[in-house]
Amino acid sequence: MKLSYIQRIAGAVLGYCSLLLLMAAFSGTSYAVSTADHTRFKELQQDFKSGPEVTRACIKCHTEAAKQIHKTNHWTWEFLNPDNKQRLGKRNILNNFCITPQSNFAYCTACHIGYGWKDETFDFTSEESVDCLVCHDSTGTYSKPPGKAGHPKDTVDLKHVAQQVDKTSRDTCGACHFFGGGGNGVKHGDMDDSLAVPERELDVHMDAVGEDFTCATCHRHVEHDVAGSRYTPEAAHSEDYHIHRKQFEEENNAHCRACHGNKPHKKVDKSRLNNHAKKIACQTCHIPRIARGGVATRVTWDWSTAGKLDESGNPLQQRVDGNLVYHGKRGTFTYAANVEPEYIWFNGEVRYLLLNEKAVVNEDGYVPINDFGGSPDDGKSRIWPVKVFRGVQPYDPVMGTLVVPHTTGLNEDAYWKNFDWEKAITAGMLSAGQPFSGKVDFIKTQMSWPINHMVAPAEDAVGCDECHSKNGRLKDIEGIYIPSRDASVRLDTAGWFITLLTLVGVLMHGFGRIVSNLWSKR
Amino acid sequence: MKRHKSVFAVLVVILLAVSPVVEAAKGNWKKGRIYYRMVCTDCHVNQAGGKISPAEKTKAEWAEYFEKNIHGPQDAPAKYAASYFVSKEYRESIKDTNRAAAKMLKIPDEQLLEDVKAFLNHTAKDSDQPSRCE
Amino acid sequence: MTVRVMIFKRFERFWHWSQALLILVLLISGFEIHGSYDLLGFEDAVTTHRTAAWSLVTLWIFAIFWHFTTGEWKQYIPTLKKVDAMVRYYLLGIFIRAPHPFRQTMLKKHNPLQRLAYLFLWVVISPMIWLTGWAYLFYAKWDDWGLDQYLALEQVAFFHALAAFMMLVFLIAHLYLITTGRTVMAHMKAMITGREEIDPDAEEE
Repeated sequence: MKLSYIQRIAGAVLGYCSLLLLMAAFSGTSYAVSTADHTRFKELQQDFKSGPEVTRACIKCHTEAAKQIHKTNHWTWEFLNPDNKQRLGKRNILNNFCITPQSNFAYCTACHIGYGWKDETFDFTSEESVDCLVCHDSTGTYSKPPGKAGHPKDTVDLKHVAQQVDKTSRDTCGACHFFGGGGNGVKHGDMDDSLAVPERELDVHMDAVGEDFTCATCHRHVEHDVAGSRYTPEAAHSEDYHIHRKQFEEENNAHCRACHGNKPHKKVDKSRLNNHAKKIACQTCHIPRIARGGVATRVTWDWSTAGKLDESGNPLQQRVDGNLVYHGKRGTFTYAANVEPEYIWFNGEVRYLLLNEKAVVNEDGYVPINDFGGSPDDGKSRIWPVKVFRGVQPYDPVMGTLVVPHTTGLNEDAYWKNFDWEKAITAGMLSAGQPFSGKVDFIKTQMSWPINHMVAPAEDAVGCDECHSKNGRLKDIEGIYIPSRDASVRLDTAGWFITLLTLVGVLMHGFGRIVSNLWSKR
Repeated sequence: MKRHKSVFAVLVVILLAVSPVVEAAKGNWKKGRIYYRMVCTDCHVNQAGGKISPAEKTKAEWAEYFEKNIHGPQDAPAKYAASYFVSKEYRESIKDTNRAAAKMLKIPDEQLLEDVKAFLNHTAKDSDQPSRCE
Repeated sequence: MTVRVMIFKRFERFWHWSQALLILVLLISGFEIHGSYDLLGFEDAVTTHRTAAWSLVTLWIFAIFWHFTTGEWKQYIPTLKKVDAMVRYYLLGIFIRAPHPFRQTMLKKHNPLQRLAYLFLWVVISPMIWLTGWAYLFYAKWDDWGLDQYLALEQVAFFHALAAFMMLVFLIAHLYLITTGRTVMAHMKAMITGREEIDPDAEEE
């Protein structure tokens, strides 16, 4: 049968249509579809010139969003520890990575959820300064470069980004949290961009073709306030609760037990592990190693070697295996990948060394910038995995305090411009309102970072004998009896001696019988 | 002939109605990323010996790559088309050892190819990638 | 002239050998848990130890029942009579082929020294090993039962290991002493076949 021209066109069109329908059907299956199509909102159909312009459009409908943001740590970068009244938060504390945002705000606020925080004059009550897009972008094209005080790159198509807003994702949270400390995986060890699309082995919950958790699945929010802060973490084995049994508003869900309860090992042969949970955090066994996703985490940072320039006068840069090991602006780094964390007793109490406090060296020769409380006997500590980050950073040997260096920017005081520590620290301390003697020295410091992410599948959990052995992972943990690690030396000495004595005794007795037997035969 | 015309008109209407949906669906870079990392990278690293990165090529070079549609192996470059490695046939062949391929088994070849292309464009050497302070 | 007499009944032999096997398994896995060597790996050692412990508990339930229904428990009633003779025999007599001072019969299968040794086993080693063993097995329940104020794992483990050492010493002595029969293998054969060769003409005291 001969097909007419029209029939052939119709057939082709029909085929095309069915293909398109099929594609559309499949493309819609795995992504939750919102009830609102933001491309159709008039407010968003304009060529936005700046971030705040977008925010003005957002808060026309989302009237409370910016006000909610204003109350959160993500906005204030400030946190008052209710237990010890320390004023913490990113804007107040020091670390041994980039040291502190103070006097460097325009650079560091690339990771602030706002626009325009370049110095102390920033208006924290401004609603249009809230950056909605950095958390709600779904296009992966939104980005905030250092130096612009949190404003996006000029090349970002704000209209496109605004029309494609979505819930937060591993990408949006990760845009800052994967890159803490100035690079991929640098700071935490349990967070880097391998978690954007993790395999099951890397993170059993976030597994991109499995459970596919986002950060917000555990770090749930109430009125934009995200649960789970490392300033007051919960470390103890506390009361059982279950997410399904309580209103989520009541509780912080960023804990294993929010879903798994207090007795998570259900199999009969594993049930004795539930008892371990009283003394050992889930993370200790279920995060066998950190930096497992192929991205190395930085483990040391020596600022004292900074300042070397190459032939053309630019800061010298050296890389080994793709990792930056030296940068003229920052100093020397070392890395570790797929590495066992360290273990400590931890009760959730964290004390920071603040700028106005004397830096005191501990028995290992390091100044602890944050001190994790805990002991085997206080009834609320458990053994926790931590990444311990060790550094060498500038300090004031006369005042005995750590210092704020003004590193960033193009002005004459900035260390990255003139490589003069004295000038940089004078400017930094002035900006921070702290006294500085004018003398610069370097001191060894350390920080601990609790390990919570990269939870492995159960079958990859730390095996029994990795702790129940003489030189196991917990060999330095005191105050607890670990079978196979701890046995009474006196008992063992006496026990084996008597065993040996008995053996020798019977052998001699037997030998005597043999001899006497032979003798009597003769 | 009249009947044909009306059929044609209906089809055109359907085509127009469907087009915007397709426009939105064309190339989901996040899905492409899952496939690229869990299938492409997985095989390249574990079997084909070496890391690969979308940033090896510019957008134009990636476009050219898919235009030529030659994947290799190197000793017999024309043996496999690049598009073969996103096809259902290929996914079917590795589905027992690759969870991503199993999970994405039902996505039509053309759609998945667009997803992967979208990801490569998104992350290509000359793409506007988020800047870092390193 | 000797005759073969049934000394160890079928159940008794089954009890003895399965208990021997279990104790051996318990010692081997137990000292691994204790940290003396690596053999099975800690997890498998614990699993093995627990399984063997529960098997031994089961076996004992049957054994206790058997001992009381048959009256065999009387075999373990201690006596000091002729203990000195036994000690003298092992220290001296055995080397000069002196006659064994004890005559084994159906009614008295253990010599006086043996009875004392078993008494020590039943009164000291067993209670120690069982009590600490139970505490160890139910470590997870200490909280619920309010025992955590009275018990510390370290002490429980200490006494459990102490008892295990005593058990080990007992085992070595036991293994040696079974060679002191009429012939080296006589006692061993008796525990396998149940029959011991006895001289019916020997004097009964």
